[in-house]
Amino acid sequence: MRPGTGRRAERLAPYVLVAPAVLIIVVLRLWPLLLGVNFSFTGDGALNGTAVGLDNYRDLLDDPLFRTALRNVGLLVLLLPVAVAIPGLLATFIYLRVPGHRLFRSVYFFPAVLSPVIVGAIFNLLLAYDGPLNAVLGGAGIGPVDWLGNPNVAIFAVVGVHVWATFGMALVVFLAGFATLDAALVDAARVDGASLRQTIWHVIVPGLSRTIQFVFVTTMIGLLTSMFGLLYIMTSGGPEGSTYLPEYYIWIQQGQMNRPALASAASTALFVIMLVVGLLQIGLLRRAGRED
Amino acid sequence: MSRVRLGRWLIAAPMTILAAATIYPLLFTANVAMKTRREYILDRFSLASTLHWENLTTAWNSAGMARYILNSLIVVTCSVVLLLLIGSMAGFALGRVRFRGSSALFLVCLAALFIPFQVIMVPLARIMADGGLIDTYPGLILAYVAQFLPFTVFLMTSYYRAVPAEIIDAARIDGNTLYGVYRRIMLPIGTPALLSVGILNALFCWNDVLISLLMMPSADHRTLMVGVTSLRGQYSDDIPTFAAGVLIAAVPVLVTYLFLQRQIADGVTAGATKG
Amino acid sequence: MKQRALWSAVLVAALALAGCGSAADSGSSSGGSAGKLVVWDWKSGDASAASYIEKAKADFAKRHPGVTVEFVAQPFEQYYTLLGAAIQSGKGPDVMLFNGGGQIRDRVDALLPLDQYVDEDKQRLAGWDAFTKDGKVYAAPVTLQGHPIYYNKALYQRAGLNPDRPATSWSEFVANCAAITKATGAKCFAQGNKEGIGIQFFMSGLGSGILSPREYDDWVAGKRDWNSPGVKRIFALWKEVNDKGLNNDGANSTAMFNDAFAVFQSSKAAHVIGLMSDIGHWKDFAEFLEAGNVGVMTSPVVNAGTTPSLPYDGGIGYAVAKWTKDPKVAAELVRSLTSAEALKAFHADAGAIASDTTIDVSSAGPAVATIVSEIKDGKPALHVALSSKTVDLMGRLSQQLLSGSITVDKAVEQLAATDQAG
Repeated sequence: MRPGTGRRAERLAPYVLVAPAVLIIVVLRLWPLLLGVNFSFTGDGALNGTAVGLDNYRDLLDDPLFRTALRNVGLLVLLLPVAVAIPGLLATFIYLRVPGHRLFRSVYFFPAVLSPVIVGAIFNLLLAYDGPLNAVLGGAGIGPVDWLGNPNVAIFAVVGVHVWATFGMALVVFLAGFATLDAALVDAARVDGASLRQTIWHVIVPGLSRTIQFVFVTTMIGLLTSMFGLLYIMTSGGPEGSTYLPEYYIWIQQGQMNRPALASAASTALFVIMLVVGLLQIGLLRRAGRED
Repeated sequence: MSRVRLGRWLIAAPMTILAAATIYPLLFTANVAMKTRREYILDRFSLASTLHWENLTTAWNSAGMARYILNSLIVVTCSVVLLLLIGSMAGFALGRVRFRGSSALFLVCLAALFIPFQVIMVPLARIMADGGLIDTYPGLILAYVAQFLPFTVFLMTSYYRAVPAEIIDAARIDGNTLYGVYRRIMLPIGTPALLSVGILNALFCWNDVLISLLMMPSADHRTLMVGVTSLRGQYSDDIPTFAAGVLIAAVPVLVTYLFLQRQIADGVTAGATKG
Repeated sequence: MKQRALWSAVLVAALALAGCGSAADSGSSSGGSAGKLVVWDWKSGDASAASYIEKAKADFAKRHPGVTVEFVAQPFEQYYTLLGAAIQSGKGPDVMLFNGGGQIRDRVDALLPLDQYVDEDKQRLAGWDAFTKDGKVYAAPVTLQGHPIYYNKALYQRAGLNPDRPATSWSEFVANCAAITKATGAKCFAQGNKEGIGIQFFMSGLGSGILSPREYDDWVAGKRDWNSPGVKRIFALWKEVNDKGLNNDGANSTAMFNDAFAVFQSSKAAHVIGLMSDIGHWKDFAEFLEAGNVGVMTSPVVNAGTTPSLPYDGGIGYAVAKWTKDPKVAAELVRSLTSAEALKAFHADAGAIASDTTIDVSSAGPAVATIVSEIKDGKPALHVALSSKTVDLMGRLSQQLLSGSITVDKAVEQLAATDQAG
C-alpha cells in the first residue's frame, strides 16, 4: 500500500466506524420521528389526515390530565438523584468488597429479569390496604396508609417499586464503569486515612463522572418511558389520575380513546422534554466534573 | 483496623436485607407458580400446599413456548451481537478519535436516545413494510438494533472516553492503524462495558413485547415474551399459569447474567490492576 | 483490519437484503391474501376458547373449503394500540374482535357495515345494539355482558335471612347487610375502584332502581340530564355506600379485576355487582361458593316508581375490516364465529352468556338460569351508552367522590360538560 492511500484510509477510518450506527439511527429513528411529528399536526376521527396546525398541542395543554402528567415528570426529575445514588453507592460498596459482595452482585439483578406485571402484582399485594406492610406499620402504632389509593402517596409508591425493580441494571453499568477507575488512587486515599465518604466524594465520583452522567440520562429515560407496565398493574393512572405519566397518557389516547394524532403530539412533547432535560443534565454534570 | 471492619459490617447489614428483598419476588413467583388458581385467590401468600408442576407444562404448551423460545434465542443473539459490534465501533470513533463532525454525529446518536417509541411506532412499521421487512427475522433484528443502538453507542462512547489516551497513543506509535487499535486495544479493554451493555440489551430484547408484536404479525413468528404475555388474557385471572410462564422465561436471562456478572467483575479487577 | 469493519458493514447490508428476500415468500399476516383470512382477537389463545374456535373453523371450512383462516391472539392490553396502528397504515387483519360500546363505535370508519350479511342471524342473536352506530351494524355479537348483583346465600343463611328472598327495596337491602355484617363480619359490597371501574358496575347495576323507566330510556337514547335528581342520586348513593362502611376497606386501591371478586369469592362480602361473561360471574363464583350458594338479584328499588331490570349489552363481537379483499367471505367467517354450535361451546367452556339465547343453559346452575330468564326484560347498561372519554372521567371523579375531594354537584357538572362535548 502506498503511504498516500494509507493516509486517506486513515482519515476515512473514523467515518467508516460510525457509518453503520449513524445510518441505522437516521433511517430507522430520525426519519420516522420526522414522520411522527408531522402526523401530530393532523387531526383525529373525522379530521383524519387533514392538517390542524397546533390544535393537538392546544388540546394537550388544556387537558388537566396531561398537566398532571407533566407535573409528575417534574417530580421524577427531582427524584432522579436518589434513583442514581442508590445503585451508585451499592456498586461502590461491592467494588470495595464489603462482606458478601459476590452474593450481592448476583442477586441485586434478580428483580430486573421479572416481568413488571409480576413485580406490580406482588407489590399490589404487599401494599394493599389490608396488606402485610400496613400490618407491620400497625404493629408499630402507625395508622394504615392507603399506599395505592391515596393520590398524594401513590406516585411515590410506584416510583419506589420501579427504582427497586431496575436498580440492578444501573448497578451493572456502574460495575463496568469501575473498570476504568484507577485502583491505585483509591488505595492511596485509604492509606492516607481518608474516610469512606471522602474517598467516594474525591476519588470515586470524579473518576466515574462519565458513567454517572450516563446513568443519570438513562435512568431518566427509564423513569419516563418504561413505567407503563407498573402503572397499568399498580394504579391504572389513578387514584384520581394522580399517577399519570406522559407514557400512560399516550397509551390511553392511542389505544383507548382512539386519538392517535393526539398521542403523537403527546409523544413529541415527551421527546422534547427528555431531550432538553437530558442535555441540561449532561451539561451540568460535565461542568461539575470539570470543577473537580 | 477493627473500626474499619465494623464499618464494613454496618454497610453489609442493610445490603443483606436488600438482597433478601430482591430474592423474595423470585421466590414469591416460584411459589405462586406452584399453586392452583383457587389456592391463589383464597390466599396469595400461603405456601403452595402441593407442588403443581403441571402449571409449568400448561404455560409451556399454551404459550407455545417450544416454538417461541427458539425464535427469541435467534433474534436476541443476532441483535445483541450486531449491537455490540456497531455500538463499539461508533463508541470508539466518537469517544476517542478526533475527526470533523464527530460531536455533531454524537449528538445525532444522543438525540435518538430520547425518542419515545410511541411517536415512531406507526411510521417505523410502515418503513419496515415498504422494505419488505415486516414479519421477517431480519426485520425484527433490525428493529431491535435501531431501538437499542443509541443506548449502546452512548455507553460505549462514555466508557471509551474514560480510557486513558496514552494507551491509544502507545498503540499508534507501535504502527497500528485505527482499525488495528479498535480490534487489538479497544475491544479487549472494552470487555466489561461490552458485557454489561450486552446483558442489558439481551434483557431488553428478551423482555420486549410491543416491538415484536408490531414487527411480527404472524402467530408463529412471535417471540417468547409475547407468548407469555398472552397467558394473562383480558382479566389476568390465571396468575399461577402466568407466573409459571414468567419463571420459565426468566431462567435463560438469569443464567446468562449469573455467568456474565463474574466476567464483568473480573474485568473490573483486570482493569483495576492494569491502571 | 480494515476487512473487519468492512465485513461488519457487509453483514448489515446482507442482513437487510436477506430480509427483503425472505419477506417475499413469508405470507404476511397483515392484510390476508385472497385465499386466506387473518383474524385478530385476544381470546383464541385461551385454552377455554379452543373448542369454540375449532367449531367455528369447522363450520366455515364446510362452506369455504379453499380459504385458510389464521387466528392471531394479541395481548389484550396492547390490542387496541396495535389495531390503531393497523388501521392507520391500512394494513391489518380481515376480521377482528371488539368490545361492544365505545371501542367499536370510535372505529367504525375502518369497518364494513354487516347488515346485508347477517340479516338471518338478527333474530337468533341478542346484543346487536352495542355494535351498532347510526343504524348500521358493524359486528356480530358473540357474548352478552351485563351486571347482575350476585349474593352469597350461605351468608344470608348464617344471618338468619331467607336466601331465596333478597331485598326488593333499598332500606330492606341495607338492613339485610347490617344483619349479615353483625352475624358474620362480612361487608355488604365487594368493591374495587382502582381502575375506576367500580362506578361503572355500580351505576349500571343499580341504575334501574334509581332512574325512572322513562329517564333510563332517554339516557340510553342519548338524552341525558346529568343534573336530574335521579342521576345525582346515583353518585350520592355511590358515596354514601362507601361512607357508611358498606364496601370493603380501601375501595380506591382494590382492583375490580380480580381483587374485589376475590373478596366476594372468599365470603368476605355478601354482594358484588359482577359480570355475566368471561370472569367475575356465576361460573367463577360457583367454583368457590358452590353453585347453589350463588344468588342473583336485580337492583333493589332505591327510588319509588322504578322497575328494576337486568342491565346488559352485547359483550364482544367480530367485525370485518373495510380493506378486506373479499367482504362476503369475511362476513361468512363472522357468521361461523357466531354459529349456534360454536357459541354453545363458548358458553360451556369459557363460561359466558352467549349471544344466542336459544342455547340450553340448564346444566350451568341456577344463577345462569335466573340471568337468562331476565334477559327478555333487560335493558342496555347505563355506562355503555357513554363515550370512552366520559367513562374515563367518571372513573377518576368516582375516586374523588370516595376520597371526599369533590362534591356530587361538581362531579356531575364536569361529566355533563364532557358528555355534551363528546
